[in-house]
Amino acid sequence: MTRPLEGLRIVDFTHVLAGPFATRVLGDMGADVVKVNSESRALTSNVPSHPYYVMWNRNKRALSLNMSEPDAQTLCRSLCEKADIVIDNFSVGVLDRWGVGYEVVSQTNPGVIYIQMSGMGEGGPWSRFVTYAPTIHALSGLTAMTGVPGREDIGLGFSYNDHQAGLHGAFAVLAALESRHHTGLGQRIEVSQFEVGVNFAGPAILDLFANGVGAQACGNLAPYDNWAPHNVYQCAPLDVADVVDQRWIAIVVENDQQWQALKDVMGQPDWAQDSRFDEAAGRYALRDDLDQHLAAWVGEFEDYDLMALCQSAGVPAGVVQNGRDLLESDPQIEASGFARRIEDLHPEIGQTWADSLPITFSERPCEEYNRVRMLGEDNADILHDWLNLDGQETQTLADRGILK
Amino acid sequence: MNAAALDKLRILDLTDERAIYGAKLLGDLGADVVRPEPVQGDPLRGRGPFKKSDHPGRPDVSLYYAFFASSRRHFQIDLERVDGQELFNRLVQACDVIVACQGGFGVDLLDFDELRTVNPELVIVDVTSFGRQGPWKDYAAPDFVAGALAGAVATTGDVDTPPLKAFGDLNFMVSGAYAGIAALSAIRAARTFGGGDQVSVNVHECIASCLEQVLMFYWYAEVMMRPEGKVLPRRGSTHWSDAFTVMNGQDGSIMVTPTPDWDKQLAWLIEEDAHEDLIDPKYLEPENLRLRIERTMELLTGWVSTKEVEPLFFDAQDRHMPYGWVQPLSRIGENPQLQAREWFVDYNLQGEDSKGPGAPYQFSRTPWSVHAGVEDPSGIPADPQTVLADLGWEGSA
Repeated sequence: MTRPLEGLRIVDFTHVLAGPFATRVLGDMGADVVKVNSESRALTSNVPSHPYYVMWNRNKRALSLNMSEPDAQTLCRSLCEKADIVIDNFSVGVLDRWGVGYEVVSQTNPGVIYIQMSGMGEGGPWSRFVTYAPTIHALSGLTAMTGVPGREDIGLGFSYNDHQAGLHGAFAVLAALESRHHTGLGQRIEVSQFEVGVNFAGPAILDLFANGVGAQACGNLAPYDNWAPHNVYQCAPLDVADVVDQRWIAIVVENDQQWQALKDVMGQPDWAQDSRFDEAAGRYALRDDLDQHLAAWVGEFEDYDLMALCQSAGVPAGVVQNGRDLLESDPQIEASGFARRIEDLHPEIGQTWADSLPITFSERPCEEYNRVRMLGEDNADILHDWLNLDGQETQTLADRGILK
Repeated sequence: MNAAALDKLRILDLTDERAIYGAKLLGDLGADVVRPEPVQGDPLRGRGPFKKSDHPGRPDVSLYYAFFASSRRHFQIDLERVDGQELFNRLVQACDVIVACQGGFGVDLLDFDELRTVNPELVIVDVTSFGRQGPWKDYAAPDFVAGALAGAVATTGDVDTPPLKAFGDLNFMVSGAYAGIAALSAIRAARTFGGGDQVSVNVHECIASCLEQVLMFYWYAEVMMRPEGKVLPRRGSTHWSDAFTVMNGQDGSIMVTPTPDWDKQLAWLIEEDAHEDLIDPKYLEPENLRLRIERTMELLTGWVSTKEVEPLFFDAQDRHMPYGWVQPLSRIGENPQLQAREWFVDYNLQGEDSKGPGAPYQFSRTPWSVHAGVEDPSGIPADPQTVLADLGWEGSA
């Protein structure tokens, strides 16, 4: 069955996480993603046997090109002239120096869509700054806003902005394809990962400009809504020193109906009969008291039991699951097949796994999950499929050091 | 002026918090996105922060709504009335894409199979918290609960804090982005191969797919040979690689990393005579990689504590080192990079000019624009005939 993006050809120069995540999503939906790598660039997490690389580069074909060779640049230009999409997260100007920039390639391939995912965007005093997701989190305010009051050194526990920059890159490509469908013309898209990150504070930025209020870290409170309780509480057993083994549950009450339901779940304790808790404003004002009472009550329960109890009564509650919980005991993950083994073993690390695309197309299922390919593993197939080179021609290029 | 990228798309937005961001992304790129709401008003207009109304009788302006419900056309529909139901059906039949959240406004009235029989080109994006099967399928999961169950909360926080949520609705901005991708992928397939689709977006899986190290640690613990095993505990800002962390300087905080060029960082420490034993050749032995990371970060922590963070940040970036100055949001409006790129855009908040976030991407040929979702609810068309006339979707079914 035809997958939604089959027939799309993508030249992928990206590395680390943000760019590869964009092309992972597109590859999962059937695009032919040719990931360009080289012996000289295949270091640390850009090595096809590194778990980090394995996570983000399934469903892509691997081409090795020694771009220091002029003939490799010529070959690369031929590929870009056949491409629907060219994507990179190099510093501004690298593709131009190789002779495969948008201005050159669009002369002969006017439908091509170029997307560059730089840290800071082109132009401006910080345009040459080097960034990773933790850099962006710090500069955009995400680090300062995520944590507890008085501390700036917590922030997000994973590279949220890299994933989101990737998703926004994929979305932008698809939007440009829709435009091209009607006009026949491609275009150049610039994704500043910094601007992606700042964008996530949207309502807080409007609050800053409209009211002069700068958002600050507020722990587990909803920053702008008077919802209480709205926190995590430790479940039984409580005498657990190792952070990883502690069990927590998030409980949220967003309205009076949920509060009444929670009171029922708790067995209508005396303290909860205080009428000040009957309305949102009162609960919010007394949220510290609420938290103390709930912490004492929750500590008597095991996490999944309490979640089921709350949810059956209509109270939003969720176990704070870690990676082990997700992959060993989450019934939804198990039932949907979200985590899947990749049948074809990786030549160096053996068994690999894929977390499935969380989008399911009823008419065009995306059920192919191909393992990460080794450096240059698909050279012959790619050059045949895209440029109609035969095996001998590819071997000649390899012998001349173009494909390494 | 070129047409907007998505200006040929008619989209019916029946989302709640879980995917409203996706509908925003579509609207800001020019799709004609219609968001009907009940006569009592969209409940999301009640989410803060708010801009106090200066006009007696007018409600305060939800800045949540101004951001997330931007670039839409808003109509009220009374689904209790027959003519309201008829109007809703005509909207459903006239659009190219429906983006719907399970339980969203009017969604329970829709029979997706029947709709696709009537209009085989229709794309339906069906967003659910956990899918439509399984023991948790009806669980209520606002952003915090969704993040807890999907793994985001467990990995945020520190050893001396509880697990923590991220600021705002960051989990739902992930599922929203996926919903936008789902819509446009199905449209691409329809344009290329013909035929619409019903596309399911599972919020739980969306969040779990964007946790960087979480699944990697479980699956590849043996390959990585990390002492933590399959689960990395929450530990503040310290990255899974141990090579990025927020450190405290004399007057603030800064995210510090010797990555990607460790030799450059070492040279800087030598230059300042702060390198101590880091030049010992033992740190270059592959088996001592972790020792090198630990010792480097230890020395950097002491070194940074003697520094003012602003000059340290610019010095690092001059050396092409990806340090990040921890900035409060209150300073974002003054950011020289955003100012130079004229990133902030005008937002009209019920007659008052203000500023707000610009585009997360720049297209060279097709424009992006935003108009805030701040219509005074009392002025939103509700009469079915007026709605249809204003909409201009008649005859397109």
